[in-house]
Amino acid sequence: MSLELKPKKWAGAIREVTLGAGSRRPVTVGGGNGLPLHTFEASFPHRPVFALEITDVAPPRWIDTVRQPWNGVLGRPAAAARRAVDEFGADLLMLHLVGTHPDRGNRSPEDAAAVVRAVLDSVRVPLIVKGPGAGSKQNDVLARVAEECQGEGLALHSACQEEYKTLAAVAVAYGHVLVAESPIDMNIAKQLNILLADASVDLRHTLIDPLTGGLGYGLEYTYSVMERIRLAALGGDAMLSSPMICLVGEEAWKAKEVKASGGVHWEVATALTLIEAGAEVLVLRHPESLARLRKQVDCWFGGDTCR
Amino acid sequence: MPLTGLQVFKLLPNTNCRECGYPTCLAFAMKLAAGKESLDKCPYASPEACAALGAASAPPIRGVTIGRGPRAITVGEETVFFRHEKTFVRRPGLFRVLQPAPDRDAVLDSWRSLRIERAGETFQVDGVAIPESPGSPDAAAAAVERGFPVAILATTSQGASAMAERIKDQRPLLVPPAGADLGAYASLAARLKIPLVVSGADLNALATAAMDATRAGVTDILLEPPGADLRGLHHSLSAIRRGALDRIHPGLGHPVFLRIAAGEFEKAVVGITKFASLLTIEDHGGETWLPLWTLRQNIYTDPQKPLQMQPGVYSIGEPDDKSPLLITTNFSLTYFIVSTEVEATGLACHLAVVDAEGLSVLTAWSAGKFSGDRVAKSLREMQATERVSHRTAIIPGYVSVISGELEDALGDGWRVLVGPQEASDLAPFFRDVWGAGDKPPNLP
Repeated sequence: MSLELKPKKWAGAIREVTLGAGSRRPVTVGGGNGLPLHTFEASFPHRPVFALEITDVAPPRWIDTVRQPWNGVLGRPAAAARRAVDEFGADLLMLHLVGTHPDRGNRSPEDAAAVVRAVLDSVRVPLIVKGPGAGSKQNDVLARVAEECQGEGLALHSACQEEYKTLAAVAVAYGHVLVAESPIDMNIAKQLNILLADASVDLRHTLIDPLTGGLGYGLEYTYSVMERIRLAALGGDAMLSSPMICLVGEEAWKAKEVKASGGVHWEVATALTLIEAGAEVLVLRHPESLARLRKQVDCWFGGDTCR
Repeated sequence: MPLTGLQVFKLLPNTNCRECGYPTCLAFAMKLAAGKESLDKCPYASPEACAALGAASAPPIRGVTIGRGPRAITVGEETVFFRHEKTFVRRPGLFRVLQPAPDRDAVLDSWRSLRIERAGETFQVDGVAIPESPGSPDAAAAAVERGFPVAILATTSQGASAMAERIKDQRPLLVPPAGADLGAYASLAARLKIPLVVSGADLNALATAAMDATRAGVTDILLEPPGADLRGLHHSLSAIRRGALDRIHPGLGHPVFLRIAAGEFEKAVVGITKFASLLTIEDHGGETWLPLWTLRQNIYTDPQKPLQMQPGVYSIGEPDDKSPLLITTNFSLTYFIVSTEVEATGLACHLAVVDAEGLSVLTAWSAGKFSGDRVAKSLREMQATERVSHRTAIIPGYVSVISGELEDALGDGWRVLVGPQEASDLAPFFRDVWGAGDKPPNLP
């Protein structure tokens, strides 16, 4: 009896989305027409990419293991950006404007825009900008940043079902990518994309953030919702076919367990599992995690066998 | 491969005797093919028909048991490719590789007593994998004495035989060197009636090896997939699972075995997420094992059943009668987030986990499982009210609406404080609301 495995063909494919424009070296993700990592039966024009997370002020709750590689540049975003790109090889960066949060310094939208500009001046990779996540302040901060950085193709993180109109408008007006975040819920992810499309957002400039649960803290929920989103997209649902971004670092390094045992393993396990479920933009905190994941991904999408 | 109605019909006597309760053999055959009837109802079914139908209704991936007694482990019997389709059922066995060591027995004793409780599951060393060495038969005996299932990592058939004979009644798993000629190992496994790992340079060779082992009389088989790197391995793992579920080849319908050499953490992650059923792991130490156990727990959780915490009062830090009393639901994700955030504030707390059938706060409240009355009853049952002297309970911000009802239900001078909606805002809440109140603000 001979063994024949037919390659699985799908009606749909993942949308190609380009991050970075203007003075940025653009990075494109998406375009795959099969299950994640199924390079044996589908084509993937782009491989998953890795961002490192930097912050506008010294990050309040990072543990020592993850602070150590950033010694001397924590809270100095332009310097941290250079280290992330030049030394650690990040494909892109996520600048978390944590200092704009009312409880963490309450810095003004104007301060935020200046910080983003300084980071853009120091490196040429695309930039994801994450707001404080606190109601109206989020819109004020990100809208000001979007205006300041018109045409740079930032990824604005994030719009949600309850609060998307302002960010949809500024993303369109100033030429940025919008990250659409949903609470580990496929229906809301779809609904939000429908709302964004109705608000004249071209979905070729959006990413889905399905909300990351770290290893041991809900990873399985994110994993399955991403598998379901990917299956729907491959089945032809254009409202779910945007590439997915996962904020791995902030979740993985929150785990109690990383204090006792090696946090890098924790971050790598979270990220690799989510890549298997379809994550294409992974935001990490530890450069060693990036190096280890990069090695596997390059092997996967490079031609040759490697170890 | 499931049979069609017409294929089943050809196996029946075609006498239309009606003794099965159906007017014709064809009607009965259709019900059989749909899995809605049992062949027992046909008194005239031939042995061939029984065999053919039995094979067709067998599970797509066979179960294999390794070891005996309370620690014996059964793997396989999976029925889906994606966990959300139903669930993955048999958690993969994580076996620790035992290298020859002078303090072998002490090492085994420490492995046996290792137990880590996490979210309702006990992590332990599921079994011991013993590489062939001059002392390995003794090591195997020492491992089974302690109740461990054993995997024999053989390098020669003579060595394998020496180990297997020594513990043959304990159902050890026989693992020949990858790519070895199967003959001697298959006859050993068949003679001792123990499970055997087969391998192959490609999928076809692997499936053929499994068929050869079956023909040699081995009943319990595990497949060691080909793959020189993670990409190749992932391909094999995906193809074996898909091939088994689609029943494209009977040789693929067995659980998968994987060796994880020292430093191959990423390979173990891919193995656990993608269908491996038994992994032998060389790395020791919590740095490797804790994330792998946790990943297995996550992936093998039934997606239809939320993880639940045991209801009760949990201490974060070392709380006393002046510490805050927080209330949340027994959805374990909720518990983990709240407890992690509380810990980060540095303030010792009592965390009362109320039975809300494993739902998150807002969902539980909508479903009527987190009403003031229900929460009050639960707090009394777990004697949470006796833990503190300040008579103040803090509820999640999302259920501020129950505060009045809860105050009434608790009575006795109890006061309900509405906390933040998100646990990540507990620090400012403790600072601005709790600390500003009339209770001692024992923030660090």
